[in-house]
Amino acid sequence: MSRKLSAISFILLFMLSFGSIFATGQTEGEVKPIKFGGVWPLGDITGAQASKAAQLAVDELNANGGLLGRPVELIVIDSEFSPEKGAAAIERLATVDKVDFFVGGMSSGVHLGQIPALKKYKKVTMWTGAASHLAEEAVGANQDWYFHLHPWDYNQGASYVEGWNDIAEKYSEISIDRWFLAYEEGPFGSASFEATKTLFADMEIDGEAFQSAAAGGGDYTAVLQRAKEYDPDVFIWAGYAADALPMMEQAKAINFVPRLFVGAPPGWPSDFGESKLAEDVTLYGMWAPAINTVSVKSTLFSVGYETKYNEIPATYFAPLGYTSIDIIVQAVKAAGTIETDAVIAALKANPYESALGEVINFKPSNVISNQGICQQKILQWQNGEQEVIWPFDFATSNPAYPFKGWTK
Amino acid sequence: MRKKLPYIFMALGILLLILPFFSGPYVQSIGRTVITYMILAISWDMLIRSGQLSFGIAGFFGLGSYAAVLSVVNLSFNPFLSMLIAAVVAGGVAFLVGSIVLRLRGMYFAITTLALGEIFKIIIHNWHDVTGGPNGKLLPKLAFDGDSVPSYAMMVIFALLVIAISEYFRKSKIHYALTAIRDNEIVAKSTGINIYKYLLIAFTITAAIQGAAGAGFAQLYGFVTPESSFNANYTLIPLAMALLGGMYSTWGPVIGAVVLGVLGEFLKLYIPYGHLVVYGLIIILVLLFMPRGIVGVVNRLTADKGVGNE
Amino acid sequence: MINKKIYLIAGIGIAVISAVFFMLTNPTLLVYGVQRAGIYAAIALPMALVLGIVHIVNLAHGEMMMVAAYLSYFISRTFDLDPLLAAIPTGIIMFFLGIFIFKTTIYHTLKAPELNQLILTFGVAMVLSQTINLMATSQPRKISLDYVSASASIGEVSFGIYDFIFPALAIIFLIILMYFLKKTRIGKAATAVGQNPRGALIVGINVDLTYTVIFAVASALIGIFGSVFITKFSIFPAVGGAYTMKSFALVAMAGIGNLPKIITASLILGIAESFVMSIPGGAGWTPMIFFGLIIFVILSRSFRSKH
Repeated sequence: MSRKLSAISFILLFMLSFGSIFATGQTEGEVKPIKFGGVWPLGDITGAQASKAAQLAVDELNANGGLLGRPVELIVIDSEFSPEKGAAAIERLATVDKVDFFVGGMSSGVHLGQIPALKKYKKVTMWTGAASHLAEEAVGANQDWYFHLHPWDYNQGASYVEGWNDIAEKYSEISIDRWFLAYEEGPFGSASFEATKTLFADMEIDGEAFQSAAAGGGDYTAVLQRAKEYDPDVFIWAGYAADALPMMEQAKAINFVPRLFVGAPPGWPSDFGESKLAEDVTLYGMWAPAINTVSVKSTLFSVGYETKYNEIPATYFAPLGYTSIDIIVQAVKAAGTIETDAVIAALKANPYESALGEVINFKPSNVISNQGICQQKILQWQNGEQEVIWPFDFATSNPAYPFKGWTK
Repeated sequence: MRKKLPYIFMALGILLLILPFFSGPYVQSIGRTVITYMILAISWDMLIRSGQLSFGIAGFFGLGSYAAVLSVVNLSFNPFLSMLIAAVVAGGVAFLVGSIVLRLRGMYFAITTLALGEIFKIIIHNWHDVTGGPNGKLLPKLAFDGDSVPSYAMMVIFALLVIAISEYFRKSKIHYALTAIRDNEIVAKSTGINIYKYLLIAFTITAAIQGAAGAGFAQLYGFVTPESSFNANYTLIPLAMALLGGMYSTWGPVIGAVVLGVLGEFLKLYIPYGHLVVYGLIIILVLLFMPRGIVGVVNRLTADKGVGNE
Repeated sequence: MINKKIYLIAGIGIAVISAVFFMLTNPTLLVYGVQRAGIYAAIALPMALVLGIVHIVNLAHGEMMMVAAYLSYFISRTFDLDPLLAAIPTGIIMFFLGIFIFKTTIYHTLKAPELNQLILTFGVAMVLSQTINLMATSQPRKISLDYVSASASIGEVSFGIYDFIFPALAIIFLIILMYFLKKTRIGKAATAVGQNPRGALIVGINVDLTYTVIFAVASALIGIFGSVFITKFSIFPAVGGAYTMKSFALVAMAGIGNLPKIITASLILGIAESFVMSIPGGAGWTPMIFFGLIIFVILSRSFRSKH
């Protein structure tokens, strides 16, 4: 390939890309579609599945005649886990694609970068991610156009307190007085530890940090050793999916068998359920395929997703992504228009039955006015599947106690 | 043709710089990102002209970001002053660290700068009370209240400043000193050049620029966290840009930043799943077929036959 | 000469005394330290081989390990093999993959400045991790094996003993490499090429073939390591990055071109990290010990050599 040729082809490629940046969205047809703009980390399984689930909602809608007689279009841009790219995506969706609604969200850090841009345009925004209270502070009060589906970190902590108290009350043999929290040292783990310490202040609680395998660590022996010496009723680890199985293996190696073994990663490895070590491990989450047995909406979503994509939703971001589109669609139908104020009013006024099993009613949280879901669920791996043990309304099984692990 | 080249580039450059002012917030936002990376790429190049390879860009970038945010939040400094503070802090740290570390060469220097960057990140991550720990810190107010036009303008001015510094480096005594060090250190020493002094100057100034870039970024987006402010991409991507554009020059990193930055965004829009594979392939292909970068290709295409180059 | 002997004896003396001290007060510290050291050493040795002889920093080192790990995962699951057995086909496949990567990319930039090769391998790393991400998604995977949790006890304290496979692997790698470099014809030629490529060329050594073989051998070793890796760690497309950096740091600490010192360096690092982790609240400072020690060793070596 001669130098000249490569240079010329490069210049052409460059000009093409430069031009496309300036190109505006086309669609000069008779009926202008209603546009949703989504920003998710497409390179990660959470964002990839959330965007596909959102697309499912859009496709189902279009198959049923669209919205208010108009076709619906979803434009998704990758946030690449980068705050500046996430922000640029919002700018493009707003000014070039001229979307009517914003959806998306997973990482709090990325969201911090996007919030200033979102506040500029004040379109109805249905956010599926960002648990950090710092993001809530950045949004601020009196931003009625901002709807937050994912629970904040303090919501999650409070729901765990409520959940465990309920469980201890109903199942008297379960004791929850002494806690040990092993947390990954990044923002996710540290925030979990801070929240747990505050909320469980009247119980005995101790904790220790570890470096998550997702960040290059993967050795939990020090933390597990300390936990074993502390002899807690409940052991919780807050890390990432990559930590799940090694955590169990290393606990087995040092012979640490707490009566309750709880894992709180935002997602689990794909083959965790197959392992013998998974049995009776408790976990926090917002959705599992087991919810199909107690919720029709969940089944409809789940079947639709599996049919279209030939895979089972692996994280709760999938039903959240689906919900983010569907909930706006229902509000628009109720309001009869896509006009912002009317849609906001409809979203606030109408409860929505979601694919996660619960009914969403937007209520104020610490700072913002429209918080959708305020709790996580408590589940347990039983026979290789995630079963819901709390809230009791969605429970699909009783908790197995105590955790026997490998001493069976 | 050769003689007219700088003017052609300048005209193109001015065009590219002004274009975003007429194209809306999205293009301006991409422009800000490209210019941030451009500044990092130029500053990295200024040091590599001496042969010293720095892997510490992300470290000084993050340091500057935090210095700026902390000075605004804890000491109520004005945003522009905070950028200056960031430059001073980063430069100061570089000066102190450089006096010990600049005796190293090659990969050892590179690894040490990488390790130092990581150490800055860890200290900031663990120092909860002052820096907010792993959650980071929010700025109460964005520079220009988030308005894209003045934000972009600020970055343009910053970029022009850095280009000017880089060109000054090239035209002044420092250039000869640095290039002599790069070519043959023993010979350079024997001609009486104080290697240590010039390396220290270059290291300090480039670190100060990187710190100021970090500060600018923090001011524009309104927050810092250890993970995002010290991200390894701030080291690797500017390197790739400088190489693609052509090292040992000012315009090389500039061109490389614009090309890679725009290309990256373009690929993302048209290949939502898997654009990074193509991005990586392009880096590989460019390095295979254009080893001296774009500037190298241009030089070769416009070389006067028979007359020397450069 | 005398100085060196004194340092050596002093060093060994301190090591023995500390070892006894730790065995008595906190035995698991030594155990975990040696195990960690093994992981670092085993992954750093292939990079040291490539850096010492071909003089290129392979930024795709960790990603190649990741690819090997995924290969091993799929071979194990498809053919119902234990990953440690799958190490053999994985090593062979990685041998040829290494040749492929080398011949298509790095080979052409050998005459270009070193930095080109660096960024080229960065591009390769990106292509590898993003391709695996497309094919396998970012969801972590791990094979669950019983023997990984094998444990032993000293008194009341139980600890895992499976991880001793890593120091064992590192020592095997070192022995293989030293034998290869010192006793085989290709190995000796490679050492010559590493010290003086032009001289070796003049003498008639086929430098290009040497480079290719070295890179392929390093890739095969990475392949074997990848298979052992997946028995202890979860794999995901981005898992390699941290290991590239750690290997690079370790090689710099040991001195570029010095393979046996990698064992010593990794022992120092592993035990130091283990010590810091055993202190309550120490987890956040562990990487700092890692980087701090590296800088300290690199600097002190530089100060010493100026005298």
